[in-house]
Amino acid sequence: MTFLRWAGTLTALVVLIFTLSSCDITNSSDSDSEPELDLVTIGSVTSGDYTISLESDSMLETGVNQLYWKIEQDGNLISPGSITITPLMDMGDMMHSTPFQQPEVAPEDDRYFSNMAVFIMASGSMGSWSIGFDITLPNQEVLIGEIPVEVNSSWRLTSVRDDEDNIYFITWMHPRQPVTGNNTLAFMVHTRESMMSFPPVVDAELEIYPYMDMGGGSGHSTEFTAPDAQEAGYYEGSINYSMSGTWTTSVSLTAGDVTLPEVMFEYSVQAQ
Amino acid sequence: MKFFISNLLILIWATSAFAQASTFRVLDRSTGDPIIQAHIKSGEETVIATTNTEGYFSINRDDHPVIILTAVGYRAREFVLRPGMEALYMNPDIYRNETGLLVLANREGENNVQAYQQQHHAQNMDQFLDKIDGLSTNKRGAFAWEPVIRGQSDQRMNLMIDGMQVFKACVDKMDPITSYVETSNLSELHIDKSGSDVASSGGGNSSINLITRRAEPESFSMNVSTGYRLPDNYRTLSIAGNTSDRMGRHAVRFSGSYKKADDFISGDGTQINNSQYEKLNLNVSYRHRLPSNHTLEANYITDKAYDVGYPALLMDATKALADIGQLRFNFAPTEKSWRVETIQIYANAIRHTMDDYSRDVENRSVMGGMHMPMFGETFTAGARTNGQATISRHSFEWFLDGYFSQAYGDMEMNSLDPDIEDMFIYNLQDVTTWQGNVGLKHRFMISDDLLLKAEQNVALKNLDTGSERFASFFEGLYNRELDTRPALLISASGNLLWMPFDDWSFSGSTVYSERMGNHMERFGHYIYNYTDGYFYDGNPWLKTEQSFNADLNTTWETDSHSISLSLFHKQYFNYIDGILAENTGNTGLEFKRYANVGDATITGGEFRSLNRLGHLLSIENRVSYLYARNQTLDEPLPLIPPLKGFSTLHLHHGESRLMGELEWAAAQHRIAQTASIEDVTGSFAVLNLTWERDWLNGSLTSILQANNLLDHHYHTHTSIGNIPEAGRSVMVSLSYAF
Repeated sequence: MTFLRWAGTLTALVVLIFTLSSCDITNSSDSDSEPELDLVTIGSVTSGDYTISLESDSMLETGVNQLYWKIEQDGNLISPGSITITPLMDMGDMMHSTPFQQPEVAPEDDRYFSNMAVFIMASGSMGSWSIGFDITLPNQEVLIGEIPVEVNSSWRLTSVRDDEDNIYFITWMHPRQPVTGNNTLAFMVHTRESMMSFPPVVDAELEIYPYMDMGGGSGHSTEFTAPDAQEAGYYEGSINYSMSGTWTTSVSLTAGDVTLPEVMFEYSVQAQ
Repeated sequence: MKFFISNLLILIWATSAFAQASTFRVLDRSTGDPIIQAHIKSGEETVIATTNTEGYFSINRDDHPVIILTAVGYRAREFVLRPGMEALYMNPDIYRNETGLLVLANREGENNVQAYQQQHHAQNMDQFLDKIDGLSTNKRGAFAWEPVIRGQSDQRMNLMIDGMQVFKACVDKMDPITSYVETSNLSELHIDKSGSDVASSGGGNSSINLITRRAEPESFSMNVSTGYRLPDNYRTLSIAGNTSDRMGRHAVRFSGSYKKADDFISGDGTQINNSQYEKLNLNVSYRHRLPSNHTLEANYITDKAYDVGYPALLMDATKALADIGQLRFNFAPTEKSWRVETIQIYANAIRHTMDDYSRDVENRSVMGGMHMPMFGETFTAGARTNGQATISRHSFEWFLDGYFSQAYGDMEMNSLDPDIEDMFIYNLQDVTTWQGNVGLKHRFMISDDLLLKAEQNVALKNLDTGSERFASFFEGLYNRELDTRPALLISASGNLLWMPFDDWSFSGSTVYSERMGNHMERFGHYIYNYTDGYFYDGNPWLKTEQSFNADLNTTWETDSHSISLSLFHKQYFNYIDGILAENTGNTGLEFKRYANVGDATITGGEFRSLNRLGHLLSIENRVSYLYARNQTLDEPLPLIPPLKGFSTLHLHHGESRLMGELEWAAAQHRIAQTASIEDVTGSFAVLNLTWERDWLNGSLTSILQANNLLDHHYHTHTSIGNIPEAGRSVMVSLSYAF
C-alpha cells in the first residue's frame, strides 16, 4: 500500500513536471513585441516635423557596412514609402561615390529601411563623406537632404589595379570578427566604371591563402574553402581558424583572363 | 567418482553431526565472489565437503578444527576454524591464470607485492609496474611513467583506481593515473593482460586496476618509512596507520607520503636537467559496519605534485592535482536469487598545469621563440554496482556501471617578440564522454578439472563537445556536419582452464572487443605527439576499432618450482592512428589527423620461472617479447619494447634477505619509420643489489639498495626522446611498524 502511494505520488510529480515543461509559459503577446535592433546612431537631421536618422551595427568604417534608416515624427516611427540615397565623398577638387545598394524595407523590422554600403576610403584630411537621401513618405510628402558621416579606417578593405589601371575593391565581409573554429568567409568585389558608378564584379575567381606566423620560424595555414561567386559581387567560402592570434589571408583575384597582384588582409582572431 | 565419494562423505558427516554443524562461505579475496566446488579437505587427501553454487559449506568444527581449501584457479590454503568465522578467503593463483594477473599486497598471501618483485615501499608505482611481465612503461623523465600492457598504451587499455574511471588531464600524457596511488597504499593490483575480464572492467581492453588499501577492523597499527638516495637527493617519508573501535564497527585508515628528488645523473655522469619532482599524497579511508553486517566505506585520495621536470618534453609540470573520492556500500551476503553485492559512487577531478618558463625556448626546434603554458582538467563522476543472480538454477554475476566525464585543455603561445600577438588554442573544449555498461559473467564447472568462464558486456558510449564553436572547427576540418550519436559497443570473452594434473594447468582465452576512439582521438586539437613530432587533430567520425585476442598459457607448478609460458596474438581491425594531413605550406610544423588506418597485429609472449632451492635460495627469471606490426604501412608499430627480461637471485638467511637482479633488454631494430621518428635502440644489461634486514623482531626493517651498480649508460626503447636511465644510485630506507 505504501509502495502504491509512493508510486502514485511519483507519477503525479512526473506528470506535473512534464505538463509544466510542455506549456508555453511565455506571454503570447510577447510575439508581437518590437524586435530590438542593437544599433548605434551615425547621424541624424531634422526636416520639418521629421527626424531622419542613420544607424548601423557599429561606427562606420571602410569596407562593408549595413545602414539603417529611421524616420520619426514627434517620436513615433514612420514607415517610409521609399528611400533613395547617394553616398558621396567630397575631396575638394573632386567627388566620388562608393559601392552601395539602395535601401529596402529591413527584414529585421519593417519600420526601418536598410542597405549595404562599401566605403572605399576613410574620412579625414583627404575628404569627408555624406549620404544624400530622397525619402517619400506614405502621405507622398518628400524629404530631401544629406547626413554627414564619419568613416573610420579598417583592415576589411583593400584594392588592386590591373595593368590597364582598372581598380578592384576587395572587401572582407565575413567573418566581421573572426573567431576560432569554422567561419563563413565572404568577400565583395567591386570595380569602378566612373566616379559615381561602382558595379559589382560577378564572375571573378578568388584564390585565398590563410596563414599564421607564430614567430620563431613557425607558422601554419588552416583548412579553408575558396570563395565562390554567388550574386552581385558576393563571394562565399569558409575558413577554419585553429587558434586565436594574428592571421593573414592573401587574396588573388582573377577577373576575366587577368590575374591581379595578390593582396593581403591582416587581422586578429579571437578565441571563443 | 570423486564427486560421488565426496558427497557420500558429506552425507555421512552431516547425518552424524548435524546438530553441531557450522556454515562457512568461501570467497575470492580479490573480487569477493563465491567460489563454487571448492574442496574442503581434512588433511592432504580426504575431501570432507564441497562448496555449493553459492560458495557455502557446512562442517562440524569440533571434528575438523583445521581444514585445507583447494579450488581450481586458486592457491590451496589452510584454515584454523575459530568461533565467529563466517567467510574464508582464497587468493587467485597468479601462476595458473597468467592472462588475468593478480598481485596481492596482503601479508597473509604469498603473492603479495613485496614477494612478487621483492620491492619495498620506497619504490614508485611506475618503477614497480615496469618490472611486471608483459608490462612496460613509456618514459618522459623520472616521474609518472605511462604504463603499457603488451605494447598497448593509453587509449587501448583501461587504467582504474578501485574500479573507478579516472582520466588524465594532461593532453601530453604527463599524468598517468598510476601516479596517484603509492605502492604503500596499494592493496591489490589487478592486471588483465588479455582483456578477458570484459564483464567487470568493460570493453575487453587490457586493464590495470589499482585496488587501494581500506580501513580494516583491527587494533591500532602504524608504519613509518623513510629513505634517502644518492646522487639525486631523493628523499621520502611516508606514514600509514589504521585503527578501529573495539567492536570493529568503525575503522579508519590514513596514509601520507612526501617525496622529492633533484635531477638524476645518467651512467656517463651527465646531469639530466629538468628531471626533478616533488610529490605529496594523502589518503583517508573510513569503514563502518552496520548491525545488519552491511558495510559502508568512504575513501578519499588527494595527490599534489609540483615542479615535475620532463626532460623528454618541451615543458614541465608546475602543478598536478588530483582529488579522488568514493563511497562504497557492501551488502552482507544473502541467499536471495537476485542480490546486490556492492554499490559504489565516485567522483574525481584532475588538474594539470605546465609551462616552459625554465626552458631555453629561443633555441627550441619546435615552436621556438615562444612560451607555451598549458592547462588541462578532467572531471569524472560515476556509479558501479554488481551482484549475483540465479535463473533456472544457473548462477551468474552481473555488473552495471556508468560514468560521465568532462575534459578541457588549452594552450597559450606567448611569443618572445612583443610585436607578435599572444595566441591561444583550445586542445579540448567542453568535451564530454558518457558510458553505460551491462556485463555478465558465467562460470561452468564442466568437470573436476575443467572450468569454462564466459563473459559478455554491452556498452553504450557517446563523445561530444558542448561548444558549438569548438565543434565547428572539426566541421570545417572535415567539411561535414557534426552529428554525434551514441555507439553500441559489444565485447565478449571465453576462458577455458584445464588442470589435468594438480601441478600442471593449461588455459586459453579469446576476447572480442570494440573500442570507440577516446576524447583525444575524437576531439583533441593541435596536440603535439612527442613520439613522432606531429601535431594531431581529432576525428569525431572515427569508426569503431575492433580487436580479437587469443591467449594460451601453460603452467607447471610444485611447492618449489613454477614455470609458466603465455603466448598471445591480437588482431586489430579499423586500427585508429594518425595519418598525415595535407601540408598547406606550414613552416616548422607538421600535422596528422586520426583515422581508421587499417589493420594491425601484436603477437608475443611471456615466460616466467621461479625455483626455490632450499630455504635459503630462490631464482626467478622473467622474459617477455612483442612483435607488433602495422599491416597497412607494413612496418612495426612504434614504441614496442624489444625482448627483455629480469633474472633475480634471492638469498634468505636469518633476518637478512639479499637480492641480486639482472635487468636486460635486447636491441630493438624493428622501428616505425613512417608513423614515427623513433630510432634503433641498443641492448643493455644492468645489475641491481638489495640487502634487506629485519631488526627488533621484525618491527624495524632496513633496506640498502644499489641500482645500476656498474653505472651503465643506456636508455630503453620506450624512453621518449632517448632520455637515458639513471646511473648508479644508492638508497637507504628504514621502515618501522608498531
